[in-house]
Amino acid sequence: MNFFQLFKLDSLNGFVVLAIGFFTVLALVYSSKFMQAKRGLVQYYLYMVITAICAIGAVLTNNLVLLLFFWGILGLTLYLLVNLGGEGANLAAKKTFVIVGGTDALMLLGISILYFLSGSIQMDEINISLTGNSSGLGLAAYLLIAAACFAKAGAMPFHSWIPDCADKAPLPVVAYLPAAVDKLLGIYLLARISLYLFVLSPAVNMFLMIAGAVTIIAAVMMALIQHNMKRLLGYHAVSQVGYMLLGIGTGTAVGIAGAIFHMLNNSIYKQCFFLAAGNVEQKTGTTELNKLGGLAKTMPITYISCLFASFSICGIPPFNGFVSKWMIYQGVIERLSSGFNGLIVAFCLVAAMFGSSLTLASFMKLIHAVFLGQRMNQQENKEISEVKWQMWMPPAILALICVVFGVFANQIPLRYFIQPILGNIVFSGWYAGVTTLIIMIALFSGVVIFYLNTKTVYRKDQAFVGGEALDSDAHAVTGTEFYNTVKDIGLMRMVYKKAEAGVFDIYEQGKKIFRVSDFLRFLHNGIMPTYLIWMLLGMLGLFFFLR
Amino acid sequence: MKLLIFFSLIPLFTAFLIVLLGRLRNQAVLLVTAMSVYLMKIVNASGVVIYKISGWSIPLGVCLVADGLTVFMLCIVNLVALLVIIYSCQYMRGFTDKWKFYSLFMLMLAGMNGIIISGDLFNLYIFLEVASIAAYALVAFGIEPEDLEASFKYAIMGAIASVFILLGIALLYSYTSTLNMADIALIVSGNPGSVLVSFVSVLFLAGFGLKAALVPFHAWLPDAHSSAPSPVSAMLSGVFVKTLGLYALSRVFFNLFSISSGKVFFALMFFGVLSMVVGALLAMAQTDIKRMLAYSTISQVGYIAFAFGVGTPLAIAGGLFHILNHAASKSLLFLNAGAIEHATGTRDINKLGGLNQKIPLVGFTSLFGSMSISGVPPFGGFWSKLMIITAAVQAGHIVFSIVAILVSVLTLVYYLKFQSFVFFGKLRSGMKEDLKSLHFGMKFSMVVLAVICLLTGMVFLPQLKLALDSAVNALLVGNGYGAAVIIQ
Repeated sequence: MNFFQLFKLDSLNGFVVLAIGFFTVLALVYSSKFMQAKRGLVQYYLYMVITAICAIGAVLTNNLVLLLFFWGILGLTLYLLVNLGGEGANLAAKKTFVIVGGTDALMLLGISILYFLSGSIQMDEINISLTGNSSGLGLAAYLLIAAACFAKAGAMPFHSWIPDCADKAPLPVVAYLPAAVDKLLGIYLLARISLYLFVLSPAVNMFLMIAGAVTIIAAVMMALIQHNMKRLLGYHAVSQVGYMLLGIGTGTAVGIAGAIFHMLNNSIYKQCFFLAAGNVEQKTGTTELNKLGGLAKTMPITYISCLFASFSICGIPPFNGFVSKWMIYQGVIERLSSGFNGLIVAFCLVAAMFGSSLTLASFMKLIHAVFLGQRMNQQENKEISEVKWQMWMPPAILALICVVFGVFANQIPLRYFIQPILGNIVFSGWYAGVTTLIIMIALFSGVVIFYLNTKTVYRKDQAFVGGEALDSDAHAVTGTEFYNTVKDIGLMRMVYKKAEAGVFDIYEQGKKIFRVSDFLRFLHNGIMPTYLIWMLLGMLGLFFFLR
Repeated sequence: MKLLIFFSLIPLFTAFLIVLLGRLRNQAVLLVTAMSVYLMKIVNASGVVIYKISGWSIPLGVCLVADGLTVFMLCIVNLVALLVIIYSCQYMRGFTDKWKFYSLFMLMLAGMNGIIISGDLFNLYIFLEVASIAAYALVAFGIEPEDLEASFKYAIMGAIASVFILLGIALLYSYTSTLNMADIALIVSGNPGSVLVSFVSVLFLAGFGLKAALVPFHAWLPDAHSSAPSPVSAMLSGVFVKTLGLYALSRVFFNLFSISSGKVFFALMFFGVLSMVVGALLAMAQTDIKRMLAYSTISQVGYIAFAFGVGTPLAIAGGLFHILNHAASKSLLFLNAGAIEHATGTRDINKLGGLNQKIPLVGFTSLFGSMSISGVPPFGGFWSKLMIITAAVQAGHIVFSIVAILVSVLTLVYYLKFQSFVFFGKLRSGMKEDLKSLHFGMKFSMVVLAVICLLTGMVFLPQLKLALDSAVNALLVGNGYGAAVIIQ
């Protein structure tokens, strides 16, 4: 086999490779400080490098078996990297690899079926239509491979490893893998099979859109009630995948372009978030929202980066998240007018927009609780300073890219990365340059008005009630309590309760298989005559069958 | 080719010499090593090699046959045996009457090699009994109550299986008037559909199926494998069930009866899938490391039987390759289990944790073994799983391949449970100090086996491909086996 047939560079995977390389460099620069003085450093860097090589290999390859090979190694290194985390990391790592590795096995079956149907393992030679009548096997192959993409990217129902992994694994690992590279890989492969290997039927498109919409809403609702920065970000990492599924599901050029652009944007700001969370953890020793507060003054660069990233994730213009979300909305609307099942498309659109506003709500909570507000223990904040340059620079660069990709969306990312894939996209209703100018003017005048009004001299003192000074530690507003009320709204309470009990977690549900095991153990009672009877029954069955 | 007979002669005489002279255990190692070196000569020989004992011509005398499959199996068995012996030199220090152990071990090896090289059905049976009886004794070697119980069960069930096999051979003899396998192949192939062949097929499926621990003939295995000393478990799981069960089954069905499809193969496939599912489900629920590994063996043997049952060239290649991968990784894992028990004094998953901090070598080697069996790249198990599943899909057994894939997910689950609970996480407080150190020999064996797990992942190695191809061809020629032997 010719070596050049194994790998193929085209417009879809070219920029993904570029992005992976970029994220790898940032993650390694960050780790050089963050992972200092931790044990197992040789292993850590070894696994990181293997991960980078395999990720690039998986993206570039044109051979399905080789894809499976690289894809599988990525699961293994992820497992090993998560295991380097602190207490409880071994269980999170197990959950991660059970879901990721399990879906890898499904993908193996999917690729076997694909080979059976098309007789080729070269990706550019395969083109299977799912629209015909006798396409049951093709559909199975598509869904099996899509399951692996869903698990890698963290879409429902294979999402549940991401929050656990985000919570327990070392933060550079989370920022690098589940937040950035795994997203790129999962959505890249989904786009690859949806656009090139298969011709999707309307039903499959609809399935992807619904999966996307459900993922957006359900994950963001879970994110709302989290009290830990890492878990909150983990749920958002799930929620954002929903937009990409939705975009690919629309099947329209602008929707798919939006999804691919959103994939890139999401990795940028999500990595920024997790690196910022790493800075916070490094300096304060915790990521519990209740225990944090007021870090904006002491860690300004981290704060600004995190703020920009949250503008981006909430889809506030002119940041990059807005552009890609807008494109996805546009794709969905196009579907609405082209006679798809109108009700479902409308539901998806509403879910996507509503999800965006809930994202805003939960990031207001995060920004308030970590960087603004007051810390429970004020004294501790005094000793905190900004982190070393290896650690503030990566998030700062990422935040900068968020702005650049938003303001110059048409000029840079869309032109160089997205348009080569899908041709010229009709992209209407948004003129980044002009709008940015208007927003800048508005912001500037806001600042001017603010400073004009603050001429009044005022005195700063401790808060007091009835002449008695308040104990500020006891009355600190942490920013999490308001969101607890979300939990108590009628129907939501039941749903949340079930969600926290793991009813929607495929991993927890999978544990039910142990009941079958218990039954089998009950059968194996250790009494030899029983075993001999099984043996004779087996022989009788054979005699009967081979008669 | 006179060398062939030494494969069973050397261990046989070593066994008796050890009994006579008492303390010859280190020399035993050397002898096995020497034998593994002899292997190279046979690997290089092409085609079918035959050794007629005392020069009697074929249908009259006893002959030994080495074709591609024989060489493949001999390589695996002797390599694993050598590594296990090196391991047990130091592992068995805590036991009394070590010379008995080595003597029985050598008898078991002689039996296994004999089965593989035998070209005569009755000799195959004799060697099978030699190996089995040695194994019964070895299972009971620890003479704890549960060891004896396991050994007793194993002996009874094994004896019943042996009776079935013997009955099958006798019936076949009455039908063909010969015991030479090549001769039988030529006679039976003229009349494959006869009732007697089906009847004998059932007897062989049940008999060899019990030796291979296919469900529902599997019940002896978990007890026997978990209560035997770890090196013995490694031999039993790694090569014993495959030689006595799968090798014999495939030889009989492919070469003697020269059938490669139809009801018998559907039965094999069905038992294979059943074993996979039951073994994996039971392995998940175990907390004892060795019991988990034992059930996992049932599950993996099911995979191999399934592959043989599919019967296409790719499936057979996958099955044989899985024999190699499973031999390397499962014997490695049993040696790991032994090392864990040696170091900590327990093999209960719930009582262990964080061992990577203390014995990282065991942790890494067992990671290699676990991932290879679970079919994670870049280890060998990934490729054999891929071959088996692809072949099954190609042959149109979609439902069975879905089950096989789901079982591989379960396999991953319980091996991750093993890894996460035993090697990762927090070190148990009671274990900080009182870990015993491992000896060099134990480490050496584990490292070599782990390297083999990794090397088999490189399926495109020309040597590996050659060995596998010739082994597959040996099975695919069907009754061509008989013709090839008779001609010489």
